[in-house]
Amino acid sequence: MSVADLVLVASPTTTAGAEGVPPRRRGRQILARTGSGLAVLVPIVFISSFITYSLGALSNSDPAATILGQDGATPQAVARLNRSLGLDHPLVVQYWNWLVKAVHGNLGVSYFTQIPVSTSISQRLPVDLSIAGLAVVLAVIIGGSAGILAAVRRGGWFDRGVTLVCSVVSTLPAFVVGIILVVLFATTIKIFPANGYVGPTTSVPEWLEHVILPGLALSLQVSADVARQLRTSLVGVLEQNYVVGATVRGLPRRRVLFRHALRNAAGPAITVLGYDFPIMLAGAVAAEAVFSLPGLGQLLLESAQTRDIPVVQGLLLVISSFVVVVNLVVNTTLNVLYRTKDGTSA
Amino acid sequence: MSAVANGRPARGRAGSVLRLRSARVALVVLAGIAVLAVLGPTLAPQGPLALNTNSLFQGPSWHHLLGTDYLGRDVLSRLMAGTPLSVLTALEAVGIGMVLGIAPGIASTFLGRGFDFVANRVADALMTLPSIFFAVAVTAALGNGLVQAMVPIGVLLAPAYFRITRAATLEYSRAQYVEAAELMGASKFHLVKAHVLRKVFPNIVVTTASLTAGALLAVSFLTFVGIGVQPPEPTWGGVLSSDLDYLSQAPWAPFIPGALIAVSVGALNALADAFRDRGGRGVLALPQLAQLAVRTGPTLEDANGSRRSVV
Repeated sequence: MSVADLVLVASPTTTAGAEGVPPRRRGRQILARTGSGLAVLVPIVFISSFITYSLGALSNSDPAATILGQDGATPQAVARLNRSLGLDHPLVVQYWNWLVKAVHGNLGVSYFTQIPVSTSISQRLPVDLSIAGLAVVLAVIIGGSAGILAAVRRGGWFDRGVTLVCSVVSTLPAFVVGIILVVLFATTIKIFPANGYVGPTTSVPEWLEHVILPGLALSLQVSADVARQLRTSLVGVLEQNYVVGATVRGLPRRRVLFRHALRNAAGPAITVLGYDFPIMLAGAVAAEAVFSLPGLGQLLLESAQTRDIPVVQGLLLVISSFVVVVNLVVNTTLNVLYRTKDGTSA
Repeated sequence: MSAVANGRPARGRAGSVLRLRSARVALVVLAGIAVLAVLGPTLAPQGPLALNTNSLFQGPSWHHLLGTDYLGRDVLSRLMAGTPLSVLTALEAVGIGMVLGIAPGIASTFLGRGFDFVANRVADALMTLPSIFFAVAVTAALGNGLVQAMVPIGVLLAPAYFRITRAATLEYSRAQYVEAAELMGASKFHLVKAHVLRKVFPNIVVTTASLTAGALLAVSFLTFVGIGVQPPEPTWGGVLSSDLDYLSQAPWAPFIPGALIAVSVGALNALADAFRDRGGRGVLALPQLAQLAVRTGPTLEDANGSRRSVV
């Protein structure tokens, strides 16, 4: 599934036949396609996790010596510890053991703090999920409404304004936007805190107060992408005969726009959201740095400094799995939204 | 014959790109940055490391055109002296991506389905690794350094080049004149050199412009979080990061390095857009490319020609 498929898929002719397929068969088709999507993902996951694991082997660090410290690192002790860490096996065997454990939620133990990697990751994950999730919501709201309004009032001042703002915003990196927001809303007009994080379980308003600026910083670029894509595809769809027909038949304007046109125009925007997810994760690291949030990025930077390989490997595995899952979700969503008569996606 | 026939449109193409005002402005900006990258440290009006405790956090003045930082160092000089490192490491990453991506991209259409399948899966897998995360992770393994950090960025740029070249090669290697040349006994090497590379070239130009923008952002971000540089050494990201620590004294300060980064990234993106819009028939449209890229099998993502594949 790609932008191209979407362009094809998003053309309204393809949805026409979907009504004819009985619901049960339709469900099975979706399952089958999700299944084949998963099958494609298997080699991808293996390769990317192998690259991730090999980082440890690439490094010239000596974990046993690090753990034992200078005094304890006698050759015998090092050999014993290497055996207990499983580091005396060939790389492929080590990788397989690591992967099997990882699937069971065991990502190993930090060389330095002896804290399980999964514990430190799950402690920090909420921070990034908060800002990335908020960024997605904001991107849908800001980008979606800007794109729709621009398409509906095509050629008007609003449309031109959106196009201009989008091209400016899309060149501004998230961390620069973040800094601008800090300067504007945290140090000049002191509405929001410039740094720190409060969990939503402690206090929801405080949580929102802390994540709104990083979330906004992260969402601007994505909003611009969503707005641009949505505007382009919606302009195309609104010119289609079936939309004109629906309007002529006297359906309310709003219903035509949201039920008929938007459904077929949303594909490229959804794809862009999916594409931008890895960018958002990278941006989340940036936002964490700017707003000093205790998230995965900070954990990564800290463990990179101390060369704590298990933590780094665990983080990379978790993040790349997220990317894979998000891609699968996006593709499945698109499959559900755009079906054809014979069940193939255009 | 082909040399003449292909030579002209190429010149015409560059000309029509230059007729766009955005492209001309972008080129001027990039030329300025190129000059800074070569001569920046020599032209810097003051020492980038020269401290002056009598003039901390000064605003722009005749003596310090862009003001001074928290140690009284001249910001303009620091940014100028920091340019070579930022620009060269960005180019390093793009160069690595180009070498690793273009060759297999062309080869995959000639070496058969097996190679193509494997190359595609590897490209897919690399695309699931977020570049900044991966770069930082590699510095954990190989030691802290900007060069180490930009090698993985380059590796992760390779799939974009791979997809673009592969798609374009697929498109052109099926053209009748290529088949004709093949029938006339031309070697594969000749086919690639004379017919395919020439046509793939405009796509590579567009990709390079936007990936360089991405790489430049990555460098700025890595130096911003302190990867790969020792503190007194000036870098774009480093200036930005130290400005951020003293916001209460000089709230305007981060805008200067921020603007420098945004303007250079923007210029590269504008140039890529100009080439894409005005490149004429040489440059495949984005959807077309993506379609080609998935023709032989489903892929996780496609090489979006990507505006900002990095940050």
